[in-house]
Amino acid sequence: MDNLEFLFAANVFVWGGIVFYVYTLKQRNRALEKDLNLLKETLSKEG
Amino acid sequence: MNPDAVEEKQEEGNILVWLTAFGLLAAMIGIFIYVPTERTEGVIQRIMYFHVPCAWLSFFAFFVVFICSILFLWKKDREWDIYAHASAGIGVVFCSLVLITGPIWARPIWGAWWVWDARLTSTLILWLIYVAYLMLRAQSEEGSMRARYAAVLGIVGFLNIPFIHFSVLWWRTFHPQPKVITNEGIGKGMDPSMLATLGLSLCAFTLLYFLLMGERVRQEKLKDEIDRLKREKLYSS
Repeated sequence: MDNLEFLFAANVFVWGGIVFYVYTLKQRNRALEKDLNLLKETLSKEG
Repeated sequence: MNPDAVEEKQEEGNILVWLTAFGLLAAMIGIFIYVPTERTEGVIQRIMYFHVPCAWLSFFAFFVVFICSILFLWKKDREWDIYAHASAGIGVVFCSLVLITGPIWARPIWGAWWVWDARLTSTLILWLIYVAYLMLRAQSEEGSMRARYAAVLGIVGFLNIPFIHFSVLWWRTFHPQPKVITNEGIGKGMDPSMLATLGLSLCAFTLLYFLLMGERVRQEKLKDEIDRLKREKLYSS
């Protein structure tokens, strides 16, 4: 039985899904870190 | 946190990244090179080596939600709520992958993408419960009531997992019977090389869970810190 296209599709979903999830997590954390540093800077300048 | 402690935590994080990457790479080699092709299903059976670990990871993630939700309701400590929320998100991602890879595997073997049998339907219900959990957290007002409602849903949702596990034993289903833990013993129903590859894949996915958990917890803590500083700024002005 040769169902390579199904095996390929499943692989694309699993590894693509994991890579996409890790990437979005990293991006979101980087953006939050930037916001936090900006906020800290603003607060320290104000007072 | 002092700089030494931050550095130490970063180092631990790096070790986990390398271990996970190595584990996933080893699992890939096992799945595509080492393990023999199954006689009846052929090459498509190799989906099992990431379909089962995805299911394991999602069940483990929901178990963490269950434990952390109980601890949150008991101790009223925000830390447990953070862990529960973080783990629910990861669980939903991997449960989605189970619900995607399952039909891809089923189509050439059963001749249908989906059948409404006990195992598949109960897994879909589990996914819907935890999607509802995440929606509840996203849509309701921030505060202890939101965390409490979410914790109750997180606990109730987990009660579905034993039902999913035993569904293939209680009813006649299309889904295969357990192969790893059987009445004859652990791994008796599988070829040793298949069992080793599955074990390796399960270990790699478990490491991946802890890696993702670290990132998700950090995200929630950063959000909390930003909210705290914003409130501080609001009250000071």
